[in-house]
Amino acid sequence: MTGASAPGAPLPPTSQHTIGPFFPRTFFQPGDNDLTIVAHGAAPTRRGEVILLRGTVTRAEGLPCVNQILEAWQADAGGRFNHPLDPERHLADPDFLGWGRAWTDAEGQYEFRTVLPGGYAEAGGHRAPHMNITVMGAGLMRRALTTVFFPDFAAENAVDPVLTIVAPSQRARLLAVPDGMADGVRVFRFDIRLRGDAEEETPFFED
Amino acid sequence: MSSTDAPDRFDPWPPGIEPDVPIHGYPNTWTFTPAQPLLRRPVTRTEATGPLELQRKLPCGDANLAQPAPGRIAIGQLMHISGRILDEDGRPVRGAIVELWQANAAGRYFHPIDQRAAPLDPNFVGNGRVRTDEEGRYAFFTIKPGAYPVPVKDTWWRPPHLHFSVLGPSSLSRLVTQMYFSGDPLNALDRILNSIPDAAARDRLIARDLPPAEVGDQWLGYTHDIVLRGRDATPVTP
Repeated sequence: MTGASAPGAPLPPTSQHTIGPFFPRTFFQPGDNDLTIVAHGAAPTRRGEVILLRGTVTRAEGLPCVNQILEAWQADAGGRFNHPLDPERHLADPDFLGWGRAWTDAEGQYEFRTVLPGGYAEAGGHRAPHMNITVMGAGLMRRALTTVFFPDFAAENAVDPVLTIVAPSQRARLLAVPDGMADGVRVFRFDIRLRGDAEEETPFFED
Repeated sequence: MSSTDAPDRFDPWPPGIEPDVPIHGYPNTWTFTPAQPLLRRPVTRTEATGPLELQRKLPCGDANLAQPAPGRIAIGQLMHISGRILDEDGRPVRGAIVELWQANAAGRYFHPIDQRAAPLDPNFVGNGRVRTDEEGRYAFFTIKPGAYPVPVKDTWWRPPHLHFSVLGPSSLSRLVTQMYFSGDPLNALDRILNSIPDAAARDRLIARDLPPAEVGDQWLGYTHDIVLRGRDATPVTP
């Protein structure tokens, strides 16, 4: 419990721990990895280009990570968030959730179904279209945070205030790779290397 | 949620609160934990926002883990756990999704990955999901979990603990944590709990015992508040 503190002093946040190997399978339902649906049984959004994001999560030595939990968060096709901190929330797509959860299979593979996000302007600069990915799992005491960008938007990527923090030689590892079509939609591949040397590891951000 | 509810200031984690990784004696942390320095980025809209109304996607209401159906009661010490989800200003986080999962009284999880030779309880799955109320409160009925050995060379026993996953109003308030019980001798030996450097931060992961006068005499009672990251940059003056 939090001890006595001065009025107005912030409460320290609760420590993170690993999600462990036993995050319940029974918490998942079909469609949890589909960002285009706000509720089970709801119709998917009709705004934007539907895409699939697929990838493999690996660890040291390139071994696949089984049973990792991934969560995705992104803006809608118009670059807006259905959240009070978005000044254009009233224009956000009401049929797009922008959040999804997936877990990796025996080969370490995950998949999200979403729409290609939109870019937007804010105080810190113009954000290129992107998708935030959180990785959690046994062996990860702290969640790993990364962001996926798309090769379609080279000009926006070149000035994105987060992507430009990444060393130029590393930026390509935050770009999804076009990987053909499936079910009539474009597929992008984004592999995540949790641990490796500087030339292998996916760039991760501070929490 | 009104605009005044959403935290819009996210300070870095205070020192000593985040686990120190990798952990000696926990081999997986040496192959999973990123080895390269984490990049510091500005907190922009995409980090400060997060999904609202998630109960539409993640059905809530499974608050009774101890009795999945009438007359079917899980084996173990019945317990009630309740508390509040708060932000760093102490404001209640309304409508947060709280997910709880745990081992049964024999220390085994209802999960295909847990193949330990300890009994499963047909009346205990051990997970539930609720949404916090207007005061940020959550509550579950469950049973006290058992300890279990971690299947690694040079093993150790995990003390009884509950797992919590909390989805608050922003990406940066997302929290996965664990809760422990006071007085358990295994707490001092747990490599996961003790990866938190700050003793006060470790103490804040231990639930407070409630007396029967407060929770009734049919079950053990505990309370546990969880503080998510996030403050209000421009608090409203009363």
